[in-house]
Amino acid sequence: MQIYRSHILVCGGTGCVSGGSKDVIDEFQKELERRKLDKEVLVVHTGCHGMCELGPIVVVYPEGTFYCRVQKTDVAELVEEHIYKGRPVSRLMYAGSEEMPVVPHYKEIPFYSKQERIALANCGYINPDNIDEYIARRGYEGLGKVLSGMTPAQVIDEMKASGLRGRGGAGFPTGLKWSFCAASKGDKKYVICNADEGDPGAFMDRSILEGDPHCVIEGMMIGAYAMGADEGYIYCRAEYPLAIQRLKTAIAQAEEYGLLGQNIMGTDFSFTVHIKEGAGAFVCGEETALMASIEGRRGMPRPRPPFPANSGLWEKPSNINNVETWANVPRIMVNGAEWYSSMGTDKSKGTKVFALTGKVKHTGLVEVPMGITLREIIFDIGGGILDDKKFKAVQIGGPSGGCLTEDHLDAKVSYESLTALGAIMGSGGLVVMDETTCMVDVAKFFLTFVQKESCGKCPFCRIGTKRMLEILERITAGEGKMEDLDTLEQLALMVRTGSLCGLGQTAPNPVLTTLKYFRDEYVAHIKDKKCPAGACTALVKYSIDPAVCIGCTKCARNCPASCIAGEVKKPHVIDSEKCIRCGNCKEVCPVGAVSVE
Amino acid sequence: MSEITLVIDGVECKGSQGDTILQVARANDVYIPTLCFMDGLTPIGSCRMCVVEAEGSNKLLTACTSPVTEGMKILTKTDRLIQYRRQILELLFAGRNHFCMFCSQSGDCELQRLAIEHGMDSVRYPFLYSDFHNDASDPNIQVDHNRCILCLRCIRVCSEKVGAHTLDLEKRGWGTTVTADLGQQLGKSETCVTCGACAQVCPTGTITLRDFVYRGRRTDCDSQVETLCPLCPVGCKIKAYVRTGSVVRVEGLSTASADGGQLCSKGRWWLPSSTERERLAVPMIREGSSFREASWDEALSLVAEKMTPALESGKAGALISEISTDEELAVMSSFFRDTMKMDKVDGFYGNQLRGFVEGFKPFARQGVRPFTGAHHILESDAILVLDADPQEEAPVVASYIRVSTIIGRAKLVNVSSGKNPFEGITDADLRVSGKEMKALLVALREGGAGGAVPENVKGALEILKGAKKPIVVLGSNLAKTPELVTEALNLAVACGAPFDDGLAVVPMFLASNSLGALNTVTGGKDWLSEGDLDFLYVHSTGMVDEDTHSLNAMTRARFVVVQTPFMVHPLVQMADVLLPVPAWFERSGHYCTLEGDRRKMNVVVPPQGNLKGLGVIMKELAAKLGRTLQEASTAPCENVYVAKAAPDKAQIVTTKEVR
Ligand SMILES: Cc1cc2nc3c(=O)[nH]c(=O)nc-3n(C[C@H](O)[C@H](O)[C@H](O)COP(=O)(O)O)c2cc1C
Ligand code: SF4
Ligand code: SF4
Ligand code: SF4
Ligand code: FES
Repeated sequence: MQIYRSHILVCGGTGCVSGGSKDVIDEFQKELERRKLDKEVLVVHTGCHGMCELGPIVVVYPEGTFYCRVQKTDVAELVEEHIYKGRPVSRLMYAGSEEMPVVPHYKEIPFYSKQERIALANCGYINPDNIDEYIARRGYEGLGKVLSGMTPAQVIDEMKASGLRGRGGAGFPTGLKWSFCAASKGDKKYVICNADEGDPGAFMDRSILEGDPHCVIEGMMIGAYAMGADEGYIYCRAEYPLAIQRLKTAIAQAEEYGLLGQNIMGTDFSFTVHIKEGAGAFVCGEETALMASIEGRRGMPRPRPPFPANSGLWEKPSNINNVETWANVPRIMVNGAEWYSSMGTDKSKGTKVFALTGKVKHTGLVEVPMGITLREIIFDIGGGILDDKKFKAVQIGGPSGGCLTEDHLDAKVSYESLTALGAIMGSGGLVVMDETTCMVDVAKFFLTFVQKESCGKCPFCRIGTKRMLEILERITAGEGKMEDLDTLEQLALMVRTGSLCGLGQTAPNPVLTTLKYFRDEYVAHIKDKKCPAGACTALVKYSIDPAVCIGCTKCARNCPASCIAGEVKKPHVIDSEKCIRCGNCKEVCPVGAVSVE
Repeated sequence: MSEITLVIDGVECKGSQGDTILQVARANDVYIPTLCFMDGLTPIGSCRMCVVEAEGSNKLLTACTSPVTEGMKILTKTDRLIQYRRQILELLFAGRNHFCMFCSQSGDCELQRLAIEHGMDSVRYPFLYSDFHNDASDPNIQVDHNRCILCLRCIRVCSEKVGAHTLDLEKRGWGTTVTADLGQQLGKSETCVTCGACAQVCPTGTITLRDFVYRGRRTDCDSQVETLCPLCPVGCKIKAYVRTGSVVRVEGLSTASADGGQLCSKGRWWLPSSTERERLAVPMIREGSSFREASWDEALSLVAEKMTPALESGKAGALISEISTDEELAVMSSFFRDTMKMDKVDGFYGNQLRGFVEGFKPFARQGVRPFTGAHHILESDAILVLDADPQEEAPVVASYIRVSTIIGRAKLVNVSSGKNPFEGITDADLRVSGKEMKALLVALREGGAGGAVPENVKGALEILKGAKKPIVVLGSNLAKTPELVTEALNLAVACGAPFDDGLAVVPMFLASNSLGALNTVTGGKDWLSEGDLDFLYVHSTGMVDEDTHSLNAMTRARFVVVQTPFMVHPLVQMADVLLPVPAWFERSGHYCTLEGDRRKMNVVVPPQGNLKGLGVIMKELAAKLGRTLQEASTAPCENVYVAKAAPDKAQIVTTKEVR
């Protein structure tokens, strides 16, 4: 193996690629060749680093210097200065706080310093298309350990002891789930990786598959060995072409190394794995729907029992886990259950990856130990609210999660605590909202999504959510009645208990939590016909303060509805009847005379 | 199976491991409302009407899918449950256009019935006035998606019972709809076999059959009679609905039965339309190119007069429909064979039956029953279709084959000279000419032992070798070569897995009571084409068209008596005397079906006016001829292929034995 004095890691995650990281890689390559440094310095395209909004990201090792927003045109300078002369380029470094205006190193950036990267351990460090790099970071060591010295029952005991719980949403203890499938009789069993990731805005599974595909495959193999399965499926949404391509490469390489196929590592254990591209429906992420979809039927949930452990894919005993769940497995096998369970809370062990989005300064993927507070995630890692506005709420758990408030910021993140507050861990979506967000509008937004995604089987989920949505639409249009709130709540509770699968059962969460924590806002919409956050266009009123207006006519010229009247140098007036509330006038007014309420 | 004791609404109930709450409740007369559930179809727990509470849990359980457990305490009628059910009904009603007063199913509708039962006099939501497609593309079946509640019964029956897989859901959310062929209108579907099963199971006014709708709701009918469909040898059990003397709709009896309560398109549409066909009400005598009405006395005297000399010269024949009941066949046999001592007696399908019988003979001699109940196809794991076209021959058998293949994952091998009737679901498809068929059957039986197996046969061989319960379907065409029938049975014997009632063979007889005919009216040889007759007595049920072979013989005969319930052309043109007989809905008796049991046909509409039963007519005619009608010497079907030896005792025979 060639030894290099320096590695330049360029992020090849979806976010950075769309920011131009492929050009950056090519440019580095060219520049290094030109300076005949290409035998000394290796350029590696890696998986996602998590801080996508600062991409394309480049990290230079051994120093660990972290550069953000690197463009093709910056490359010559970076090679010249950093690589050739050893002088890091502070211009491209991360801009920190006042005390530390420039943060040169990865580990010092608050975004990373509070994280604990286990599932994401290799993401951003290795070239996902190179199995050797995975192996160099203890890849396939867990599998070797398991195959050479552990019985299936010991593997399951180890998983149970680790306390790992399913990261796909429900948080079912993984070791326990494996033990059911292991106990199920049958000469044919399947293990399945759920990579459907249907939550809008979620990209943790994608990042793992793109950045470290081997860890998922290895996890599945360890599971297959423990449960007596010899075949696996990875159900990946077709919208993730890069993840699929990386998985294919990884499978081919593992096969070439004899790590997949017949008699793996010289043992009796054989395993093959297939990739199934999903049709992209949210409900196909539900396990029974997912299996129906693999079988070529319409992805629709069915009642359980029978549970997949007894009758799953093609009626054979099957075990399905989420990408992140599988990714944790090899690490648990290498480092031991005790190590894993030392992190987290009493009942929620280890770490969880969240997709931090919304109105925070630093959005991106974060992996944090369970038990961390929401405040730490949002303010320390996320850097607080964008434009220093006021924090209002955080929506946890994807479209069917719940909205929590200021009062919950110090709650420790665990399956139990979130459920107790009315939210869910879900797959780990965290959307931060500031004072300009209307909570009724938020509830409407999420409900619109789940309502469209219902498979159509249950009347509650199919029609009930539609009726709930209608009520929300009425309220945000200023046509709500106070009785609507009761109907809404009653219906929401029925949809929750009356639906067949998790989609219907959790769909009302955003409505129920906002009704619980932000009822005032609903009442303001209904009684005062006002949207306190100024977000519901139907309820806001634009007006011009005659004392401030200088009569420049800019607003009138920019009003698409031509409803602003006034002579030059005289105060202008908006005709609210005709106003379509587009906000153009407010934007263009040079003196801030336009106000909304 | 271990017994489970549980308490439902305070009543102690017993059930078995694996039973659902609904099953136990029903067995113990506890009523739980259901909507998507249907006996015999996979329970899917989608409508949520059957929710019940289990003590100690806040969760609601769907009774139709939840298994019982020991000591469970179930409540089915709490206030909370009633609220849920009412809410569901309201959501369904307001979700699409359920305006009962404009719906053809009002009164028959299960949704409406549940709403009334739950005292739903108003709906708390505004109606959505859905604007889904009203699919009128099929000439017989109407699908107004604006009334669909997505119970998925139609989809399930179409795939689980009919095996057509025409229907599925499309789209998601509120706009989810039932669709045919993944996005096609039903009338343009290539997979739909127009059996009407979907309409039969639809609880609402969504899928309806136009004829039935027009002629009245179930609740408008004066009576319902359970009987069988006499159109093909499957003999589907049906329920016939009668309104003002007409059969206005027929339905399969029970989705829970082996045949899934389905009917084929013939049964579905021919039977109810038959009461409207032109009847022959009184005897008629030919006068030139037309007929005149006659009294029974005059007509029968003329028949006797023409029959007597023909009998003496041996130029009298009788052609009897095998769609007749056992009892009718016995009467005909006793009249023509025992009383009149005629040897020229046969059924319309005589040649086909003789061919099969000939091929069966060596096995009959061994005392084994050479075939099995057709529904056993559903239990088999490999199906060999030999020169058959079941969709034409006996459509429900085609359903069995599709269901077994698609749902039961049986392997399907087709061997035919023409096109493959199961294109798309066949695992091995062999095209052979009639001449090559024997060699192929032998090669399959010998499993390649007899020499090199051609490449294309290997797949079929693998399938048969790997099968635990293979079954062979014999096309009617095969009866032309009895030797092939024997070889096919040899193959079934070699596969070595008979069913309890006989060899794993399903022969495609064409006439519905073929088995009943064998001992009675089927002749020993084909005399029909031998020479011209002076007198031919034809008994037709008017249910299927007469074949040209028989019509030609009628044209050549000097004097033809036709007994028929309907004025069927060209049959009636052949007649010199027409004698009316009761139609299928006016008769009762038994049929020996392909399903292996003897099924009862019942009178659906009592005969009117001048009609006489077949027994009476034949007795009177015998009297005119100066004879007394004898007791039938042979009983139909009881003695045909009664197993004397267990089917697994069957031995392979050499085809020479056939000769
Ligand atoms: C509507 C719905 C969507 C789901 N989508 C996903 C998904 O995209 N990815 C996932 O891993 N689990 C998803 N789940 C959860 C799965 O049903 C299942 O619980 C999970 O894959 C089990 O894996 P785990 O035990 O590792 O969490 C979804 C569940 C529901 C009800
Ligand atoms: S809850 Fe919704 S998504 Fe789930 S089965 Fe019912 S209708 Fe389908
Ligand atoms: S008529 Fe029969 S085949 Fe056609 S869609 Fe209905 S059930 Fe299916
Ligand atoms: S068409 Fe009828 S049977 Fe089919 S889903 Fe709709 S209501 Fe049910
Ligand atoms: S009858 Fe049980 S859910 Fe429909």
